[in-house]
Amino acid sequence: MGRLHAEEMVLNMGPQHPSTHGVLRLKLRTDGEIVSHIEPVIGYLHRSFEKHAENLEYQMVTPFTGRCDYLAAMGSEHGYAMAVEKLMGIELPERVEYLRVIFAELQRIASHLVAVGTFGLDVGAITPFIYCFRERELILDLFEMASGARLLYNFMWIGGLAHDVPPGFVEKTYEFLDAFEKNVAEYNQILTGNKIFIERTADIGVMTPEVAINYGVTGPPLRASGVNIDIRRTQPYSIYDRFEFDVPLGEGLQGTVGDSWDRYWVRVREMEESAKIVRQALDQLPVEGDVQSAIPKRIRPPQGEIYFRSENPRGELGYYIVSNGKNVPVRVKMRSPAFSNLSVINEIGQGFMISDVIAILGSLDIVLGEIDR
Amino acid sequence: MIQSLANWILSFDILSGMGPSVAWGLALFVTSALVFAFVAANAIVLVYFERKVSAFMQVRLGPMRVGKFGTLQTVADALKLIQKEDIIPRSADKALFVIGPWTILVASVVTFAAIPFSDTLLAANMNIGLFYVVSISSIVVLGIVMAGWASNNKWSLYGAMRSAAQIISYEIPVGITLIAVVAVVGSLNLQTIIQAQGGTGNLFHWIPIPLPNWFIFHSPFLFMASFVYLLGATAEINRTPFDIPESESELVAGFMTEYSGLRWALFFLSEYANATLVAFLVSIVFLGGWQSPFSTYHGAQLGTTVLTGFLLLWTLFVKLKANRLSIYPLGLGIILSLSAWMFPGFAIWLSSPGLFWMLMKVGSIIFLLMWFRWTFPRLRVDQLMYVSWKVILPLSLLNLMGVAVWMWLTGEIQF
Repeated sequence: MGRLHAEEMVLNMGPQHPSTHGVLRLKLRTDGEIVSHIEPVIGYLHRSFEKHAENLEYQMVTPFTGRCDYLAAMGSEHGYAMAVEKLMGIELPERVEYLRVIFAELQRIASHLVAVGTFGLDVGAITPFIYCFRERELILDLFEMASGARLLYNFMWIGGLAHDVPPGFVEKTYEFLDAFEKNVAEYNQILTGNKIFIERTADIGVMTPEVAINYGVTGPPLRASGVNIDIRRTQPYSIYDRFEFDVPLGEGLQGTVGDSWDRYWVRVREMEESAKIVRQALDQLPVEGDVQSAIPKRIRPPQGEIYFRSENPRGELGYYIVSNGKNVPVRVKMRSPAFSNLSVINEIGQGFMISDVIAILGSLDIVLGEIDR
Repeated sequence: MIQSLANWILSFDILSGMGPSVAWGLALFVTSALVFAFVAANAIVLVYFERKVSAFMQVRLGPMRVGKFGTLQTVADALKLIQKEDIIPRSADKALFVIGPWTILVASVVTFAAIPFSDTLLAANMNIGLFYVVSISSIVVLGIVMAGWASNNKWSLYGAMRSAAQIISYEIPVGITLIAVVAVVGSLNLQTIIQAQGGTGNLFHWIPIPLPNWFIFHSPFLFMASFVYLLGATAEINRTPFDIPESESELVAGFMTEYSGLRWALFFLSEYANATLVAFLVSIVFLGGWQSPFSTYHGAQLGTTVLTGFLLLWTLFVKLKANRLSIYPLGLGIILSLSAWMFPGFAIWLSSPGLFWMLMKVGSIIFLLMWFRWTFPRLRVDQLMYVSWKVILPLSLLNLMGVAVWMWLTGEIQF
């Protein structure tokens, strides 16, 4: 007796599906509930960021960068601004650097909160999602206070910031940090230690360090596999060398190193580390300083090219900018972390069930705006 | 109830000419209409309750706009669903697609015919009540498979297959658990099962803690059985953490993916009817149905006082730091016990059996089910089957044997 012959079925997950985190389409080849092949089909959210950038002046590109990774707009803007500044050789005032770090790290917390919440949603826990959004709301309030916007900010201009922070911002940020550090315990209570949650995520979608490196996976998924690469630590940009923080790595506490639970746990701990960084930055924040003093009158980088990478919440965000000395870039290429992170899904998701594929996708934490650009 | 209603109709001079069979038919119609009205109203109330409970657990307000505190929200939703366009997908199997939801609805409404609401209020007093309820409620799976297959949608098919596997697997341990109780009572009649739970006795027969004679306190095995039953029944009605047939984040909406409007509302209606049915069964079989927890009026006074004491301890040591709202249960307990001591009439009312106690128990179980739903993640298909076949089924068999041995040891039965 051989194995029972069963036909494989092709299942289209998406582009309209509740847990594809946007408009992603996964073509699953399934044998019953077991998935034998996963093919991500992308491009449903393509908005020609790179082509747009070739026709716009440097400062006009900034809003577009925020629209790529819309859950971490501050991080994207930060990377782009730093790339152009490095190309032009601009020295920033201290206050700008500190404020940028504060915003980037707050954004990391906000982005990870969405990641953690939606991951819970993907495995069926609805309540943690709302708790996460409660905290994210406070961060968005802070952003609104500073920039007037809640999702897409256009706040980090080349050479400075759009505005200085209003009075009371620092105090409110301290208040948020106090509340947040307490509330992280709530997520651990409701989700991290939950037996069902562990059963659903431990040993699911194990990503070995080799696979992660071969596919160019970066950010929390890479660190969950035990590879200690965090650009903030390995190649400190901005002023990250002045802060004390740990780089959380996957330890396989509930299963194997690099499983979905590890990816989740790395994010939770990164939020705590980010909160530490924000606290230190607030402590050291220079009181005086004009945030727009270094903004050049005319943004015309010298002829040349640059590749600059920074640590976005989702991983390593790179900008490759070619300048011919005019006010419009010849080429802006964005190295999107979520794109590489998504590409690994077939490798780590094969042989698991449909429910597990959802969990793995959730643990990779993709943003389609950035993948399709 | 049908017979007494028929007698009541015949007792009027004007109506007595219609003859007993016509009166009986009229009474049957009225009773069925009442049962259906209960199920429909119940769903509307429970949807509102569920949304408010979830809001409470998620630090939000829930519906607030339609009516005072959003009380009319579900009525408005129901009206909206009725008005919606009736869509049948072109490639669907039309007949099955239409019959599916009605099958489910009928199966879940008809079960309520045998459910006693109080010592007099029940539609049909059957001597095989428990068997009837369990067997009829399993027709639901037929409707689900019909709906899932007829939709001609891969997600629906997955949902239906999962659901069929799940409901059939969980029926076995649930049935065996109920048999353990039937073995104690010696009857399948739900009224007899409730009547057997009257009065006060010791916990597990020997431990000298006076507790009501409910089957949950009958023996360690039935104590365990009540939890096994609750777990299995939660799976049988497809609620979180076992809601994999309609798992929103995986299968879009499972077997209901292609449904909308009124037919979708029927699924919803039957889902809440099933949840209520399970709550009723738990209260009838393990929590004494319409029996009061206090057998005498002194018992009511002492009982409420002890309860208030527990609430005081809970408030002082567990909850007070967390949330100032947690003082409210204590306040309620103090009011209850004070009025029980001050007004003997109130204590007598508390100690008498009736609809109030039934609904209290059912409400608590439903709240528990909602609590599960809004705090737990969802299990995976294979884990679900593991729980059913390797955990709950052996436990239920163990319970059945344990109960038999226990009754022999305590001398309830002799060989």
